[in-house]
Amino acid sequence: MKKRLLGLLLAVMVVFTFSFTACGGSDKSSDSDSDSKDSGKKTVNVWAWDETFNIKAVEEAKKVYSSDDYDVKVVTMSQDDIVQKLNTSLASGSTDGLPEIVLIEDYRIQGYLTSYPDAFADLSSIVDEDAFSPYKFAVNKVDDKIYGVPFDSGVTGFFYRTDYLGDAGYDDAALQDITWDEFLEIGKAVKEKTGHALFSLNPSDLGLVRAIMQSAGTWYNAEDGETITIDNNPALAYGINIYAQFLKDGIVEQVADWDGGVNAVQSGSVAGSPQGCWYSSTITGADDQSGKWRIAPLPKIANDAKATHSSSIGGAGWYVIKGLPGEENAIDFLDNTFASSTDLMATLATEIGLVSTMKAAADTAPYQEANEFYSGQKVLEDFSKLSTGVPEVNYGQNTYVIESVMAEYVQQIIDGKDVDKVLKEAQKQVEAQVAN
Amino acid sequence: MRKTKKRVWIGTGNDFITLPLILITILVFVPMIMALITAFQSGPPLNMKFNGFGNFARMLTDSTFKKAFGNTFLYLIVQVPIMLFLALVFSSMLNDTKLKFRGFFRTALFLPCITSLVSYSLIMKTLFADAGLINQILGTQIHWLTDPVFAKILIIIAITWRWTGYNMIFYIAGMQNISPDIYEAADIDGATKTQQLFKITIPNLKPIILFTTITSTIGTLQLFDEVKNITNGGPANSTITLSHYIYNLSFNFGKPNFGYAAAVSFVIVICIVVLSLIQNKVVGNE
Repeated sequence: MKKRLLGLLLAVMVVFTFSFTACGGSDKSSDSDSDSKDSGKKTVNVWAWDETFNIKAVEEAKKVYSSDDYDVKVVTMSQDDIVQKLNTSLASGSTDGLPEIVLIEDYRIQGYLTSYPDAFADLSSIVDEDAFSPYKFAVNKVDDKIYGVPFDSGVTGFFYRTDYLGDAGYDDAALQDITWDEFLEIGKAVKEKTGHALFSLNPSDLGLVRAIMQSAGTWYNAEDGETITIDNNPALAYGINIYAQFLKDGIVEQVADWDGGVNAVQSGSVAGSPQGCWYSSTITGADDQSGKWRIAPLPKIANDAKATHSSSIGGAGWYVIKGLPGEENAIDFLDNTFASSTDLMATLATEIGLVSTMKAAADTAPYQEANEFYSGQKVLEDFSKLSTGVPEVNYGQNTYVIESVMAEYVQQIIDGKDVDKVLKEAQKQVEAQVAN
Repeated sequence: MRKTKKRVWIGTGNDFITLPLILITILVFVPMIMALITAFQSGPPLNMKFNGFGNFARMLTDSTFKKAFGNTFLYLIVQVPIMLFLALVFSSMLNDTKLKFRGFFRTALFLPCITSLVSYSLIMKTLFADAGLINQILGTQIHWLTDPVFAKILIIIAITWRWTGYNMIFYIAGMQNISPDIYEAADIDGATKTQQLFKITIPNLKPIILFTTITSTIGTLQLFDEVKNITNGGPANSTITLSHYIYNLSFNFGKPNFGYAAAVSFVIVICIVVLSLIQNKVVGNE
């Protein structure tokens, strides 16, 4: 009997220790809550990536608008971490620990909005659809409800070193209004005459293929976001062919990850980079290369009536997580900054080279200014002109799922298999992948 | 009757294991069963529906799964024997009492095991970059990170470097239990060092070799950190492993597929069980 009592006592003690520590934890947090209430301020947390770009943007936004009710706190996190944390938290149905505002890439947002229909706040009341580039609304809407404040444009351009191309005998006009096939020839000449690769390419990242495809208004899926359109998609086939050709001919530098590409540009080993306009903050990061860069529109697809020089890579929007205490404050903050302030867009244009998707931003002063770094080119104006021509496509819910599979098939094409056959197989495989 | 039964459970020291038992049930067994249930479901995470053996049927046609499965077994079949053989050779060399600086060599070979998985992966990645040290020393232009074949070789080199020392320590410990008399007798009979290794050391180490084979097999089947950090599964999934594929399915895409991911993870479980059973049968059954 005694032993039994002792055992019970022990068990009770253990249980109490556990619950006490738990209480201690919650006590603390409620303390800090009341602390912040005493000072009359709540916190609105923001998650975003890229210190040189998105984080700076929020910091500038805080300068434009501050409320007496709450403070805005920015947390820098890699995009991978944000994606992972959102997935784990939202899947468990709990919003604890998530921020009020989060930046999500255009390619991914449809997946979130459909997988977690009740997780995001409806922002239709603060976002005016006419005020932004229309292609942004192909991705952040579900059934006429707008869930995101469009932020940066992903409009593409070819950033290039005028000195390297000059050495190979190409002036600025040589890059205007050309096709990808002609671009390939330029690459060969540059490699031959200067020894520099035309740009860097990560064979697992099909960003370039996506850009080529979107420039003709097609995607891995049809407008409904679901029907897979990989087979019989001439723009995709053309893009993959070009992509494979760049790798086969050895005129690009192969890198294994994002940092490798950044390094290739900043160390001066490549002659350029076909990228979204947001890449500008990375390029201008190499101060010593000022005056050596310019930006041309991307080449276009040969023999395609719908082909344009405008496309998009990346680009993102601000989203508000529903059901958190600071939800209203978060909406209030976005309403007064990214959703409406042209002043903010003008500041960001000078500070981080932001090409805003807000139409009115193009009329602000910084867009007319010549950029020292880019040899006096009016970069923002050029980008915003290209931006109006970006064909609208619905990225659907599966861009990265599809791309993971597609990268394998592109590898087969690089190995010399027939494009049409490979794409037929890819179509089947992708359909099976996204079926459930 | 009932009372005595109770007495048997409580009061014989079993109270101490009650709490761990409850905890392990809540934290390990319950999640395992829930994962098994999830493996038969599909759909968005908050609205999953049963789809029978759909997830398992999908594996049969999923080329990425096949690739991950093939890669994982390639690493297993190529890397584990190389690593264990190297570990055996190193340990028998280091077990030689006449060797000078034994402590130094042992430490040097064991050091890779105490480095963090992520940091050594990043260092490997830098060494094997296109303009990295290895290419400079060899005077080659090998795309270690972006060529499908060389990327696989790189992963094998990396994990061999990291884990050989770890297995070596087990072998050294085992060799110290082998009586020196046997080696002395072998020396008198004129056996060479190589003969001694194959005829004396290896047979005596059998149980330890079995143990290291099983742990290495499990470790390789669960391989994740190196692949994620060195090549990120690339180029184009040509180095992806099953664990990495599970991670991609659950967290990496905008639209998670936990049902399918759980199904794939049970394939790993089955593989580990089957392989361990086979190894047990082949090496001996004590």
